Amino acid sequence: MDYQKLFESGVNQEAVKAWRAQGKKAIGYICCHVPVEIFEAMDIMPVRLRATDCTESPDADTWMSTFSCSHARGMLQYWMNGTYELDGLVTSDGCMMAARCFDNAEYQDKNINKKNLFFKEIGAPRMYKTNSLARAYYVEEIKGLVKDLEEFTGTKLDNEKLKTVIGKYNEVRALIREIYELRKADKPVISGEDCLKITLSYGDYPVDEYIEMLKAFLADAKNRAPIETGRARLMLIGSAMDNPGYLKVIEDKGGLFVNDAICHGSRPFAYDLEIKGDLIESIADYYLGRILCPRMLDNRVELQKMIVDTCKEFKVDGVVYQKMQYCECWGGESLFLEPDLKAIGVPMLQVEREEHLANAGQLAIRAEAFVEMIEK
Amino acid sequence: MAKDTRLEDAVMRGEMSVFEFCCQKVEGQMERMKERNPDLLWTLEIQSVMWHNYRDAQKSGKKLVFFGGPVPVDIIVAFDCIPVYLDTVPIRLSPNPVLTGKFIDSAEKYVPQTTCGLCKTYLGTLLEDQYGSTPDAFVYSAVPCDSSRVVYPNMERLMKVPTFSFDYPYRRDERGLNYLADQTEKFVEWMEDFTGKKLDWDKLKEAMTNSNRTYELQGKCADLRKHKPCPLPGRMLVLNGTSNAMACFPEMGDLLQKELETGEMLIELGMGPCVNGEKHRAALLQNMLWSSSGVMDWLEREYDTVAVMDAFGFQHGDLYQDLDNPRDCYLTMAKKMQNNPMIHGAAGPSENFVYLVDKIFEDYEPDVSLFVGHIGCKHTWASAKMVTDMIQNKYGIPSLYLDVDGIDGRYKSPDEIKAAIAEYMDTVVNK
Repeated sequence: MDYQKLFESGVNQEAVKAWRAQGKKAIGYICCHVPVEIFEAMDIMPVRLRATDCTESPDADTWMSTFSCSHARGMLQYWMNGTYELDGLVTSDGCMMAARCFDNAEYQDKNINKKNLFFKEIGAPRMYKTNSLARAYYVEEIKGLVKDLEEFTGTKLDNEKLKTVIGKYNEVRALIREIYELRKADKPVISGEDCLKITLSYGDYPVDEYIEMLKAFLADAKNRAPIETGRARLMLIGSAMDNPGYLKVIEDKGGLFVNDAICHGSRPFAYDLEIKGDLIESIADYYLGRILCPRMLDNRVELQKMIVDTCKEFKVDGVVYQKMQYCECWGGESLFLEPDLKAIGVPMLQVEREEHLANAGQLAIRAEAFVEMIEK
Repeated sequence: MAKDTRLEDAVMRGEMSVFEFCCQKVEGQMERMKERNPDLLWTLEIQSVMWHNYRDAQKSGKKLVFFGGPVPVDIIVAFDCIPVYLDTVPIRLSPNPVLTGKFIDSAEKYVPQTTCGLCKTYLGTLLEDQYGSTPDAFVYSAVPCDSSRVVYPNMERLMKVPTFSFDYPYRRDERGLNYLADQTEKFVEWMEDFTGKKLDWDKLKEAMTNSNRTYELQGKCADLRKHKPCPLPGRMLVLNGTSNAMACFPEMGDLLQKELETGEMLIELGMGPCVNGEKHRAALLQNMLWSSSGVMDWLEREYDTVAVMDAFGFQHGDLYQDLDNPRDCYLTMAKKMQNNPMIHGAAGPSENFVYLVDKIFEDYEPDVSLFVGHIGCKHTWASAKMVTDMIQNKYGIPSLYLDVDGIDGRYKSPDEIKAAIAEYMDTVVNK
């Protein structure tokens, strides 16, 4: 099995086209609080929208203004310019920018382009551990999604198939975690840039094909040369990051990313979906209970603890906290996280960025200085 | 004569609390008003009550409950606690960019510069320990926006006081309504634990009755603005925001009663705020120009244009129906939270925002459309084209887009704002 496609980080729609050519539906989703297992179980290919390589977004800027996160604008740009040709779009209210990207796409397709696509926004609670009512609400939201998808596709959701699909996604999660384990080595065989490419391609392929590619990569991993150039082990945290080139700039200066806390990276794969009784309830528990990003209001302590623990486990020398401009969601973690990291001797570099790599030179200088400061 | 800045200087040095500053400021304003314009004293009384309540609550043995976003304030009041609406602090300080600047700069050490100025100011005030009182509890909801979602949980951890947070459903539908009503019932239990008292339904009824009076009167005042010429000045729209904090206090109803009587009298006299007669009617499509509210006076003076309504949504609030039926009341509270003014398009799908603005154009017939957008309100910026396209297509009115910071006056001076609006008025409206 050729796994090289895992490293093509650009938005790749070949698999989507092939899928749709079989008469099957492919639906885009924004934000990782959308339960993709349900799509796949209904023979719908879930395609996570991203904005990789989007260097300008003039059409989306007109709709969302430049006072919006450029990741969201980039996704809208790709939606508008046909980079994504899909049968619909689903989002949860991950953050307001994700929601507005969806709103603008829906508005244009319904009112201007007069397309008959599937649009659905599901409400995902922002409090789970401290709110005993959240699960029941989210369960109903998921059931609403299932009902609408059944109407759209004419296919009933089959519980047995859903169980099988959950198993497949758990397999993906386990394989990705296996890849992350490789990064614990003193001289890992995979860079942060390459690892991000692998996790990004998750949204471009049907689950079966992705599993095969991951297995092939892992089988071959022992043949990869250890990376000798890393002078400082880094962890990447912050806003939605779908630009491997950004990591490359830092790694070219001697940094080596060995883990991350980003939604296009490790976080969607960190835990398995455990089936405990009702399938939809199990899905709800999984999606709300994960430590994923600060969109949940009652998980900040756990999120920050997870970052600190990961630093210890992966022998991290420094954390790179990148904040997308106009991304509030990931904007406020330093107040409590920085002292916690300081307590374990891990400095944090905070950088602002845009979706496209506009400030590579400046970033390289800051990265070089940071690496020099923390290298051992 | 040089401006007396002793109070501001004391705040800047950290020697005076924000609550004390606001009390002394409003006292000074009232003294001057008594001398120069005693007939308008009523416009300040609500401010006086509110800030003195905040400052003196704990001295009089009452618990101080800070709150952010839409929460059932009536319940807090029914437990004999004083609710402190966080937004009132930045709004009150905003005419002075030096003061807001102090707290905003402090907050920007920890949150991005692009965070909403309201949130940065109340986080900064906490970081500088300058509220003047330590809250006894904190209640917040998961709206209005991503800025508050970052700042409220951080404030919760800084305050270290009992905290209750409402999860706010994205859509305004029946499921969301029941979800919020169920949380409201849990909130009552939480308040009982926090205060050690059982809910006194009669007290809650009193608060709800006051609240009904406030929103009925606010609706009537809003209706007055449909009249041509609009009898009330644009600046009075700013007062509406006080109802988020004070709706269930009788003083809020008293203020609106006076506003209503004044407006009715002006209609009878055929008068409005534009001395040369009303030529244009403006709709404000986004946040209020708190830091430069004088711009609305200037519009009335220079362009005979009155701001008839804003898109906060203070037109007609939800009213309690059956005050003896707890579930019905909790559902109304949930509805109030869902439709809470100042949330409009922010907390849910853009279609809510588009609908609200459409209603304004239908009901108030403005011919000037100003999207004078607070930069912190990124989610409304991201809906702006849908809103302004609707206005253009349905009403044939082109909109002005202008970025401002409603709280941080350092972003754009009133003169810069006026220049941009003047250009639009001269080249588009009066061409």
